[in-house]
Amino acid sequence: MDGKEVHAMNEASLHAYVDGQLGDDEAAEVAQWLLDHPEDARRVLAWRGQRAALQGLHAQLLDEPLPPRLLQALKAPPPQAVAANAPRYRLQALAGVAILGLGLALGWGSHAWLRAERPAPLTAAVPAFVRDAAIAHAVYLPERRHPVEVGAEQQEHLVQWLSKRLGQPLRVPALQAEGYRLIGGRLLPAGEDEGADAALARAQFMYEDEHGGRLTLYVSVVPPAQAVPTAFRFSREERGGRSFYWVDGRLGYALTGPLSQQQLSLLGSRVYEQLQPAPK
Amino acid sequence: MILDEALPHLPRLRRHARLLTGDAARADDLLQDTLERALLKAALWRPERGGPDRDAALRAWLLSLMHKLFLNQRRDERQHLYEEFDEARSDELQPSHEPALHLRLDLERALAALPAAAREVLLLVCVEELSYEAAAQVLELPVGTVMSRLSRARERLRLLMQGAPAGARPGGLRVVK
Repeated sequence: MDGKEVHAMNEASLHAYVDGQLGDDEAAEVAQWLLDHPEDARRVLAWRGQRAALQGLHAQLLDEPLPPRLLQALKAPPPQAVAANAPRYRLQALAGVAILGLGLALGWGSHAWLRAERPAPLTAAVPAFVRDAAIAHAVYLPERRHPVEVGAEQQEHLVQWLSKRLGQPLRVPALQAEGYRLIGGRLLPAGEDEGADAALARAQFMYEDEHGGRLTLYVSVVPPAQAVPTAFRFSREERGGRSFYWVDGRLGYALTGPLSQQQLSLLGSRVYEQLQPAPK
Repeated sequence: MILDEALPHLPRLRRHARLLTGDAARADDLLQDTLERALLKAALWRPERGGPDRDAALRAWLLSLMHKLFLNQRRDERQHLYEEFDEARSDELQPSHEPALHLRLDLERALAALPAAAREVLLLVCVEELSYEAAAQVLELPVGTVMSRLSRARERLRLLMQGAPAGARPGGLRVVK
């Protein structure tokens, strides 16, 4: 940021950040601001939660067959019949043949269409879940009293419960050998890019070393379209650290902490190894 | 023929109408009216040159038709709040949706309690994922107005949800038990 200090963040930029309407540079600037301003970060996180929850409302309508009368309404009358108040029975009479075709098209293609039709996020460089991971990291990192919802002592229960909510079996990697102990985890609202059917929750696990340095591992169910295994990547460095992230199966992972790329990738690969199914 | 092109947009438009009106039957009426209006005006519709791609332009056009019809309806009825909720349909929810049921109804109520203008902006931006400029065009408003409405709508919704029973906040934390 060229040593320039941002003294106040424009409200509109925070909204645009939530809505994915900023370019990479501006988004990075806002992300940086959020790392330093937990109150704004909390609001941003709440708005993202709101956005995701709204997107989930009546999402079942997207997969439901349309009522026949709506399909009939689409059937064009012959040109000479176009009148400001064309009675509906005329449309209905014309609809018969079309319905079959429309029905087939809908039944067959709707899933593919609907998925493909979702507008692509405007800032595609870093997956949304990684940005969410950075925000969640910034929000909970400084918490001294309640850094986690459920402590490590209830780990088994936590893992079962989170697995159920995420709809994916989850494992919590141990990083003691690397000097980090698990202090617990929490459930977070999903960001904006979930498919309608995707789980609504994401999980954050927090680790701490003996000097109080903290790492978070953020786990998110990714929509099927994005669930292609990705190479390990780093996000841009922020003051609160950077993220080392990857997608494996239906889950996206982001490990975030104030560490060098080398340290982070070492820890990340330890996490990755432990997530692999045990050899038989 | 643009009406065939409109077909893939219908499920989303239907949901938009559902969230806008807060009622299943009203929603389908609104969508039907929108489609009939589209049918009459189809010959006049041309995507703006240099604008978004044809598909996005068509969706925006349908949304703007729906917006105008929605406004007219409300004007006719002088109705400022839809109080009737479509609870009868909640039995259609599959068992897997049940844990989320309370959250859903609370959010739906909070959404319905927003002024219609705030609800429209919020839905176009959050659910339809339109850019601010595109939302402004659909609503025929300046972008600045869209932004200020969006900002107020988000805060208002957040406060309304906080009035809801604890544990039902969309952006809040959930206690793991």
